[in-house]
Amino acid sequence: MRIGSAKETYAADTALFDSATQHAWVAILLVALVTFPFVVDDYWLYLACLVAINVASTAGLNVLTGYTGLVSMGQAAFMGLGGYTVAILQIRFGTPMLLNLLAGGVVAMLAGLVVGLPSLRVKGLYLAIATIAAGVLAHFIFSHYTSLTGGTGGLTLPPAQIFGLELDDSFKLYWVIVPITALMLLGVANLFRTRIGRAFIAIRDRDISAEVLGIPLLPYKLLSFAISSFYAGVAGGMFAYFFRAVTPESFPLLMSIFFLASVIVGGMGSVLGSILGAVFMTLVPEVLKLVVGWLPLGDNAMLVLSPVRTIVFGLMIVLFLIFEPHGLAEVWRRVRRFFHLWPFKT
Amino acid sequence: MITKRTLCATAVATLAALTLSTSALAQKAKVESKEDIVLGGSIPMTGVFAFAGIGVDQGIKDYLTILNEKGGIKGRKVRYVPEDTAYKVDQSMAAFKKITSQNKVNLYYGDSTGFARTVNPELERAQSMLMTGASFAKELSDEKKYPLQFMVGPNYSEMVGILLQYIAKTKPGAKIALVYSDTEFGRDPVDAARTDAQRLGLSIATEIVTPPASVDVSAEVIKLRRADPDYTIFHGYVSAPIPEFINQAKALNLKTAFMGTFWSMDNSTVMRMGPNVDGFLGVMPYRYYYDTEGKAPMLERIRKMRPEYQSTAYTQGFLSAMLLTEAARRTLEAGNELNGKNMKVALSSIRDFDTGGLIGVPLSIKGNSIPIGRIYRADFKQQKMLPASDWINLQK
Repeated sequence: MRIGSAKETYAADTALFDSATQHAWVAILLVALVTFPFVVDDYWLYLACLVAINVASTAGLNVLTGYTGLVSMGQAAFMGLGGYTVAILQIRFGTPMLLNLLAGGVVAMLAGLVVGLPSLRVKGLYLAIATIAAGVLAHFIFSHYTSLTGGTGGLTLPPAQIFGLELDDSFKLYWVIVPITALMLLGVANLFRTRIGRAFIAIRDRDISAEVLGIPLLPYKLLSFAISSFYAGVAGGMFAYFFRAVTPESFPLLMSIFFLASVIVGGMGSVLGSILGAVFMTLVPEVLKLVVGWLPLGDNAMLVLSPVRTIVFGLMIVLFLIFEPHGLAEVWRRVRRFFHLWPFKT
Repeated sequence: MITKRTLCATAVATLAALTLSTSALAQKAKVESKEDIVLGGSIPMTGVFAFAGIGVDQGIKDYLTILNEKGGIKGRKVRYVPEDTAYKVDQSMAAFKKITSQNKVNLYYGDSTGFARTVNPELERAQSMLMTGASFAKELSDEKKYPLQFMVGPNYSEMVGILLQYIAKTKPGAKIALVYSDTEFGRDPVDAARTDAQRLGLSIATEIVTPPASVDVSAEVIKLRRADPDYTIFHGYVSAPIPEFINQAKALNLKTAFMGTFWSMDNSTVMRMGPNVDGFLGVMPYRYYYDTEGKAPMLERIRKMRPEYQSTAYTQGFLSAMLLTEAARRTLEAGNELNGKNMKVALSSIRDFDTGGLIGVPLSIKGNSIPIGRIYRADFKQQKMLPASDWINLQK
């Protein structure tokens, strides 16, 4: 806790941002996010949009895995459902972007409710396998329901439009994707100030005790699945608008593992962890490429160092798991604690 | 004594100095090469397609070395700017964005069908680039949908078409089995194969779909035995499960002849399948590294530059660079602006072009693909793919 910031009310105690310093940092972050597109090139804008999409999906998975303790390997499939819903609505009906994204989220949410049903009976690895099955099923539908999904060739979307403006590049999409992600993060952060969020945490910590305390497990577990897959669906919809193409191979099992790794590396049960995890997993390979590019190794640098870069990335994840199992969020908290308590030793 | 703090400070200072000096050098290089023509590349140097990406990368580099030694294109050097993609569409797009935002790119090499599809709107928006790549998907042959892209060879449907034409000539009325992976890559030529087979009087005895790179194919081989085809065409694989099919078929004394398409036809890939692969047939749009028949000065040059065997992916990269830069050369020589549309028009003006023997016949470009290929047969004793037919041109 920050020195000299005693809480006098419950509201103050549960506030998302509890001090003037934090408000100032949030304001700085907002200004940075607004000015960012004007000072960077297309490459960084592309990465910013990609990070935002991944943050949204990771935040959803963190609700399910980090806060409720239910392991899911179906996040990519839910993203696929959202992506395909958005693509079909956009191509066939030309409905507004925001409505399509909402529909993408709802379709994924409904699928999440079905996939979540086994969660009352099975947990841990067993549930993970059940959710993998959902992914396989989704892939089969994407590949074989050709009249709707375009089969293995998938669907190509026209650019999204808002008020007649075509969102056909990263700069324009940034102004939609980043605010939606911010809104979704705010939603998750607020969720855990409510009874529902606390019920999720209680289920994670000990489901039998939670039930004894009056938390009906099935509705809450299903609700957690629903929220998580809704987030994945919206993220998948943004993915579809961003890449303007969806195919069955756009949402592989490896993508689900990517999000699970983001949750673990970032920090389970933490909104900040979702952000840091997704940023880490998306940007570290790119940053490593930049570092490799700086090394004066001549024309064959890429050939020699590409595998090294992949090894370094893998190693970084392993080292994180060994030395900081609570994830990047804990590192962040430790750094903050250092400054809060400075000049006293933490 | 060196304290932790001193060590950290030294490390930070060194890193900062290195960063500043290298960025200064990079900036200087950028200024110096302002007039260069840039060939960007989303190249899979890691990941499942790295076996091909490394060859493609070297092929592009070597052709540009030869071109630049001769003075480049109208005095302008061609600079190659690749980025690794790990064969992932999002990383390929990141590479594209990075390369195009830091360089004025006119020519581009992409690594997959997914990337070609995803980048297409960007190409059309920029209108400044001509692109080719590693994909031979039929979809990319659509000139209206992909006006600024082309492929260096026949599309997958045309590859199977070449195989079927060879079969129809060698054994009229033959029975064919199609074995393909349950992927976009695998399913790509299937519809066209059915139509072509019917047109050529061949019958499709069975179609077998497997997961990509599957290992256990016993049930599929039994299905194959029941169908008893004269020829079995594999598509959508690089290697597995082809060797498993061939070994089990051999054990069951099946008489079918096995065939493959481009990505399973590299000499080293085929020979790694083992002795049972002897007689394996397949379509190849280019001459192999070691081919000595006919006049092939470019192959001789390659052999001089690289005395060790170079894969067919290398040749694909080499030829991609050759055709991309040829389009740029023709555009500049016509006094036109170097943009995507002009370069595509220039590319389409190529008639009876001599590739220096990389392709055994002069090539003319009509549309987005070059439907020329030849059937090669594996000779395990010689460890070589040897010609089994003349060059087959579907344009004729």
